[in-house]
Amino acid sequence: MDAQSYHPVPPGVGTEENFLSLDDILLSHQRLPVRTECAFPRLGFLDRSSDSEDLPEGTKMELPLWLSKGLYERKRRVLSVKLPNVYREGWRTVFTADPNVVNLHKMGPYYYGLGSQMLHFDSPENTDIAQTLLQTFIGRFRRVMDCSQNAYNEDTSSLLERLDCLEKALFQAGQSGLNGFQSWEKGRASQLTASSLVLNYRKRKMADVED
Amino acid sequence: MDPSEVEFLAEKELVKIIPNFSLDKIYLIGGDLGPFNPGLPVDVPLWLALNFKQRQKCRIIPPDWMDVEKLEEIRELEKREEAFTPVPSPYYMELTKLLLNHASDNIPKADEIRTLVKDIWDTRIAKLRLSADSFISQQEAHAKLDNLTLMEINTIREFLLDSLNCMYKLRSNLQPGSSGRTFTDF
Repeated sequence: MDAQSYHPVPPGVGTEENFLSLDDILLSHQRLPVRTECAFPRLGFLDRSSDSEDLPEGTKMELPLWLSKGLYERKRRVLSVKLPNVYREGWRTVFTADPNVVNLHKMGPYYYGLGSQMLHFDSPENTDIAQTLLQTFIGRFRRVMDCSQNAYNEDTSSLLERLDCLEKALFQAGQSGLNGFQSWEKGRASQLTASSLVLNYRKRKMADVED
Repeated sequence: MDPSEVEFLAEKELVKIIPNFSLDKIYLIGGDLGPFNPGLPVDVPLWLALNFKQRQKCRIIPPDWMDVEKLEEIRELEKREEAFTPVPSPYYMELTKLLLNHASDNIPKADEIRTLVKDIWDTRIAKLRLSADSFISQQEAHAKLDNLTLMEINTIREFLLDSLNCMYKLRSNLQPGSSGRTFTDF
């Protein structure tokens, strides 16, 4: 008896992306700093700052994740991907010290998703990155749980703005559990209300049309 | 699961009523409900008791545990213990809400009972959150919680399962390339 009439496809597991998931599609638009290992003839327009028609070897530019993943190959060295700052040594120590302090939304709204995808690129720091992702999630879990279960009928935007997209989805799940219980306790659960789809559609009523 | 569904399941619990009408034994699919004679107590399921009460055909007798002293004892025990204490009834929250909404005139000290049950509920939910947090932070594989009621499990179910899914996703990153990397062809 869920209020939703359809269930969106959830983002993929670990290093695999879900082809149909909207979250994963948005995630793959994130840009990564790359360095070309061989020349790209006649593709000079990809790099805004260069004027030449070709991209010589060793150009540093930014490519979206979907393109980098497709072009990356261990054997034929086409690209080498640099880790974004958030996943590097400096920030990793910040996260191990206190994960709750960081504003994950500002650091790229898909911190966990992008981190999982970065593991494709065979960096020597892969295990450390994976470990940090897990520990950050565990450290921030308590805060997300407390916020979502205790904020009833309040403006939650100040709490939400520091959360990454994955944590926002968890927050919504917690809120829906809380709201369901509270509305049941008030006796509002058995009252009939208009569906949210109908309200949002805002169909014109006959009275308005006849004017 | 909706809270309304949990309430529906709770309505199967038996309560004692004193009818003011007489009726022969009725044979329902779930079982027989015994002959009703005015002034004699009889056990019926909660849904039937509430229906009779709304038509003013009976008086509901509160269950044994719905008593101020007993609930105070339970509340003190709950606050002292770290684990979950046995509940007076597996549907104590739903029974309290339904009986106090429809039959509060038959229950002495209804407001105090409402406050006491709410206190017990809050203490148990706080313990539940604490144990969920330690479950996640120590990355345990499974946990055993005794004496939890369905309503309490229901409030935290969606959140906890989603978090465990996320943890599984992040943990599977630590196993390098077990499924073999397959890049999609462009």
